[in-house]
Amino acid sequence: MSFIGDILLYLASGAAYWWWTQNLAVFGLAPNLIFAAALSAAILAGPVKGVAWGFFLGLYADMLGANMFGGYALTYTLMAYAVHTLKRHFDMDSLFSQLVAALALSWACMFFYQGLSLAFSRLNPLGLKIFLAEPFLNALAVPVVFQVFYWLKRRAGLL
Amino acid sequence: MSRERDAANYALVFFAVLSVLLLLFPAAKFAHTARIAVSYSLYPSLHYGAKYGHFVRNVPSNFVKLLETDQETRALEEKVRDLEVKLRNASASVSENERLTREMRLARSLPWTGAWARIVNKTPADWYGSFYIDKGSADGIGVNDTVLGMQDDRAGLAGRVFEVYPKFSKVLLLTNSAASAVCAIEPGGLEALVEGKGTWLLKMNYVPEEAALQPGVELVTSPGGLLFPAGIYVGQVTKVYPRESFMNFITADIAPAVDVNMLKEVFVVRRNIPGELAGSRLGAGK
Repeated sequence: MSFIGDILLYLASGAAYWWWTQNLAVFGLAPNLIFAAALSAAILAGPVKGVAWGFFLGLYADMLGANMFGGYALTYTLMAYAVHTLKRHFDMDSLFSQLVAALALSWACMFFYQGLSLAFSRLNPLGLKIFLAEPFLNALAVPVVFQVFYWLKRRAGLL
Repeated sequence: MSRERDAANYALVFFAVLSVLLLLFPAAKFAHTARIAVSYSLYPSLHYGAKYGHFVRNVPSNFVKLLETDQETRALEEKVRDLEVKLRNASASVSENERLTREMRLARSLPWTGAWARIVNKTPADWYGSFYIDKGSADGIGVNDTVLGMQDDRAGLAGRVFEVYPKFSKVLLLTNSAASAVCAIEPGGLEALVEGKGTWLLKMNYVPEEAALQPGVELVTSPGGLLFPAGIYVGQVTKVYPRESFMNFITADIAPAVDVNMLKEVFVVRRNIPGELAGSRLGAGK
């Protein structure tokens, strides 16, 4: 039951990101809900599940783009592992640490994906507008997504 | 604790290796199969999201209307406000109707057969790279079909169909860094290569120095190009750069014929190009 719930939550996360970008993007900007879901899952889930969530959410993001396939999967897999390591030393449940982690990891993921893209397909996918604005939108989105995931974990045993 | 760390390490290695394999062998059967499997598994969520999205979209507006109706009983001004809201909605519908009528009239004058499609999703991270349309193989759309946008009462090149699914297709925009088109400079017909830069501007390369290129000159697709029909309006020269000392050609910035931010519908021209003629999937937009 929990496995089916996880799959539904995964599909809902991807569809929510798609719906938001379709209907609520302002000047082409929207919080990266897939990133927020991957970070929240990495904080809340166990080590294997957290890394798996990062990988599969990354695949969803790869499917939405037209560039290399597997880039976001690798990026979010490594991010989930980094969060697993970090949460042994920091209280990632607090609002402040989530804000800081969302900001820092957004930029880290952007740089890493940029490096992968330049190395594998010689493309430069990073727009300045997204680079400057999206991490702050992500920082606002992560605590909200975290609370939703936390509620689902307590009430329905997901993650 | 140690067991948990081991499990995390194993998971990391497994998924990282899987991702790297997908990255390293993008054209391999393994990566292609994975991509198709992921797409077929996940597109239904987008499909049904698109199908029932208007119900969700209507929830906030319906709620507002309910509140307004309640307030109408208290003040006449609320009624006036509600009517003004309806008037604005009606004028928006009228302007959309006018736009669609204009586009339909324009499409009838085009020398190519094709189908209209509505844009159903744009991804902010790939804003100038690709978008999705609501027509797929079930509607006769094929890979490498030409995608036109209508702007200022004129059809312009927007891109080409990149991936086709039963109900959806993904369009690779000409502004994508990996897209390009062989163009003819009007009126002489001198050929040059126009490439996307991942921004709202295009770049034109390989223009001979003696071409005497000026801002304002228009470009159309060349008969020498393979993927696009000849004569489609591509864009207008906005800035010509002087020749660098180490190059024997000049370059120029091109304003695309179609602004991706303004597009709501596109016209897909059926091409039926054999796969072996179209070249590789990415970067072969000539």
